[in-house]
Amino acid sequence: MLDIKSLCFSVSDADGIEGGSLRTIVDRFSFTFEKGKFYAITGPNGSGKTTLAKLIMGINPVTSGKIFFEGKDITELSITDRARGGISYSFQQPARFKGLTFRDLLAMASGTDDETKLLALIRRVGICSLSFLDKPVDSKLSGGEIKKIELATTIARNPKLAIYDEPDTGIDLWTIGPMVTLLKKEKDDHRTTTIVVSHNRAFLEAADIILLLNQGKLAYVGNLKDALPLLTDLSICNYRVCGSEDDVGCFR
Amino acid sequence: MLDALDKNLLRTVADLEGIPKGAYNIRKNGKLLAREVSANINIESNPEGTGIVVTIKPGTVNESVHIPVILSQAGLYDVVYNHFIIGEGSDVTIIAGCGIHCGGVEPEGHAGIHEFHVGRKAKVTYVEKHFATGPGRGRRTLNPTTKVLLAEGAQAEMELTQMGGVDEANRTNEASLGPGSVLLITERVMTDRDQTAVSRNDIILSGENSRANMISRSVMKGNSKQTFYATIDALAKCFGHIECDAIIIDNGTNETIPALKARHPDAELTHEASIGKIASDQLTKLMSLGLTYDEAVNRIIQGFLK
Repeated sequence: MLDIKSLCFSVSDADGIEGGSLRTIVDRFSFTFEKGKFYAITGPNGSGKTTLAKLIMGINPVTSGKIFFEGKDITELSITDRARGGISYSFQQPARFKGLTFRDLLAMASGTDDETKLLALIRRVGICSLSFLDKPVDSKLSGGEIKKIELATTIARNPKLAIYDEPDTGIDLWTIGPMVTLLKKEKDDHRTTTIVVSHNRAFLEAADIILLLNQGKLAYVGNLKDALPLLTDLSICNYRVCGSEDDVGCFR
Repeated sequence: MLDALDKNLLRTVADLEGIPKGAYNIRKNGKLLAREVSANINIESNPEGTGIVVTIKPGTVNESVHIPVILSQAGLYDVVYNHFIIGEGSDVTIIAGCGIHCGGVEPEGHAGIHEFHVGRKAKVTYVEKHFATGPGRGRRTLNPTTKVLLAEGAQAEMELTQMGGVDEANRTNEASLGPGSVLLITERVMTDRDQTAVSRNDIILSGENSRANMISRSVMKGNSKQTFYATIDALAKCFGHIECDAIIIDNGTNETIPALKARHPDAELTHEASIGKIASDQLTKLMSLGLTYDEAVNRIIQGFLK
């Protein structure tokens, strides 16, 4: 249902030795995501996971390559058109607004401001309390609360494809389990193709297929068991030495 | 008595469909159009004939007064001095507003000077909306002034809104707070084209444990310009906060000058200010919910000025 062909994303690297040279964040990524499956994209920090997710949503413009969604080329489509086409996105760091409440966002996401329907949506999502509805989505919300709201607005879209960028950031330990269960249930009930960008083992275990990114390239596709040795390998310090060994410090 | 134009202006500035219930005073083109008093709320013209005195009996609760002003006569500049005496322990809402309909090339304007004396433990909610419309090119000016004197334990909540169409506005808000009194001012101003708006706010926290919160939300569209001054002067153990946010759309400009003066060692004063375009993460989020770019901008502004 989502077919990605040789996708590249580069930025000009102002800090490079030759100022203005190109740095490739996503490097010739090709993959076909199938309808109703649960995918986890993982990999070390800076491996291009979030960038790849943003390319699919149209938040970043692609440098080269193609994205097909349900057989249609969406590479040049706007965020709005992709959203209307059935792709929904949960941000790692959700936006905060002065003057908009959870109710406002949920109404925009679901296309209705009917109280009964909004409450039904909150019940379906489960992890937000009903009293959240009139909370302003501003800087006073805790990191965990805003992530729950973000997840709810993503699900409220009834998407064909849902992308969650690190949905567990700031979420308490007791909520991660229910969150995983929720995403699986959404996948099963609505055949939502689900992509979760995460380091969290709970999501990796829930996934049908693991995609491992390293330095912008797809390094592995398969089950978690076979991915584990690679994950261990990649999770060691991946800083490269520049200059003398004496200047190098590991800050992990 | 009210024509279609009047009704439209009234609806916009005072949420009124025709003549309101309860006490009211409607002023049209510098003259009294209609007035009604109630058992607890008296309205009379001041001795100079330049405005009204609204007196609310002590202990009056859950009552409201509407005092809209409408202007549709070209070349008129209407100045009113209104006094509000709010009796001890009362809890009332006052809805003011000025609607200008400008049909010609001559300028029209209004200056409303509103002075509030809020008695001990009384609570007043004051809602003021300004709006100008009409096909005429005459300059529309609005210069509202509010002065608030809060006695011990009094509370005032002021919502001051300028919705659009006003070419020039000079707004002044002054307040003096007695012991344990609370003041919340929320000012929302939207300007467009070549309009200018200046807002000056001087809040004096003179009583112990008084609290003031001044919130300003500005939106500048077109080439419009807004300037916001706010000073909190603390003379006692008290709490004061200024929050001013300005969103620039198109080529609007803004100057924001908050000032805090702690003249007592136990004064706690804070301010936060921001000026800028709409944050891109906000636009991206709403677009990811299916809104177009323009819809997202409108929705964010609408919420911001709500």
